Amino acid sequence: MQSKLSDIELIDQVLAGNQAAYADLVKRHQRFVFTLAMRFAKGREDAEEIAQDCFIKAYRSLGSFQRQSKFSTWLYSIVYTTAMTFLRKKRVDTDSIDDENTFIQVENQSSAYDVNNVENKSRSFYLNQAIEQLLPDDATIITLFYKGEQSLEEIGQALGMEANTVKVKLFRARQRLKEKLERNLKHEAKELI
Amino acid sequence: MNNIEETLWNYIDGNCTPDEQSVISTLIASDEAYRLKYQELLALNKEFAAIELEEPSMAFTYNVIEAIRTEQAQVPLKAAINKRIILGITLFFVITLTGFLIYTLGSMDWSGQGMPDLAAKVPANFKVPDVSSHISKPLVEGFMFFDVVLALFLFDTYLRRKNISKQAN
Repeated sequence: MQSKLSDIELIDQVLAGNQAAYADLVKRHQRFVFTLAMRFAKGREDAEEIAQDCFIKAYRSLGSFQRQSKFSTWLYSIVYTTAMTFLRKKRVDTDSIDDENTFIQVENQSSAYDVNNVENKSRSFYLNQAIEQLLPDDATIITLFYKGEQSLEEIGQALGMEANTVKVKLFRARQRLKEKLERNLKHEAKELI
Repeated sequence: MNNIEETLWNYIDGNCTPDEQSVISTLIASDEAYRLKYQELLALNKEFAAIELEEPSMAFTYNVIEAIRTEQAQVPLKAAINKRIILGITLFFVITLTGFLIYTLGSMDWSGQGMPDLAAKVPANFKVPDVSSHISKPLVEGFMFFDVVLALFLFDTYLRRKNISKQAN
C-alpha cells in the first residue's frame, strides 16, 4: 500500500528522520527509474544497480533539493548522470567476447526467441524491442515524454538541455523508433511467410 | 514530408500557438496528405504512450533502504565525531598551556641575580666542530634535486588518489 502523501510531504518526513517515508518514495518512483536505467544498461542486473545507486544518491542529497522543480524531474536528472557515468565506465572496461556473461546473454536471447511464439507476441513486445534498439538518449527522451509525465522544459532540466533541443531530439527519436518498429514488424512478417 | 511531420507532431503535442493550431486544423480537414499523415502519427502517438514500464525485483525497495542503513552505519569515526568536541579539546589545551606559560613567566625572577654562572662550567678546551667545510655546492645541489624529486613524487601520488576517488564517485 503506497502512501497518499505528495512527494514533497514525504521528503519533509524523510528530512525529519522518518526513513520509512523514503521507502514510500522509492516504491512510488522505482518502476520509472528502473525503466530509465534499462534504457542505458540493457541488462536487468546492471539496471537495478544503477537504479539503486540513484535512490541512494537522491537520499544523500535530499537536503539540497531546492523544490523549484518536481521531485521526479530532479530524480531523473540523477538517473541520467548516473547512467551516463555507468556507460562511460562500461566503455572503459569493455567486455571480452569470451566473457562468460556475454555468452550467457546471447544464449538467453536466442532461447527466448525460440520459446516465444511469434503469434503470441503483442504489438507492445515489438515496441519494447524497437525501444531497446534505439540509442540510450533517444530511448530516454521517448520514455520521459510518454511515461514520465514531464514537459519538454522538465525533460530539458533533467537532461541538462534546452527545451528546443529536446523538441528536436524528441522528433528525431520518434522517427527512429517508427523506423525500427516498421523494420521489426516487416522482419517478423517475412519469417511467418 | 519531414516538415509536415514536424508540424503535425507539434500540433499533436499541443506545442502550437492558437493561430498555428487553427491553420493546421484547416489543413488536416482539407488536405489529403495532411489528413493521412495526421492519422498515422496519431496512431503512433497512442502506441508510444502505451509503452510498458519495467518492474524491478521484489526486493528492490528493501535493498535500497538496507544499502542506506549500511552506509549510515559505516560512517567513518572521523566524520562521526562532532567537530565541537575536537574544538573543545583544542581550546582546553591552548588555555591550559597559555595559563602555565603566563604563570611561569610571571613568577620568574628577571633581575638575573639567582642565575648560575654558566660560562664558568664550559671547559676551556671545548671545540665546536667546523661543519662549513663539509657543506659544498654539489652537496647543496644534490639535496635540492632530491627535494624536487620527492615533491614531484608526492604530487603524483596526490593526483592519483584524487583521480581514484573521482572515479569511485
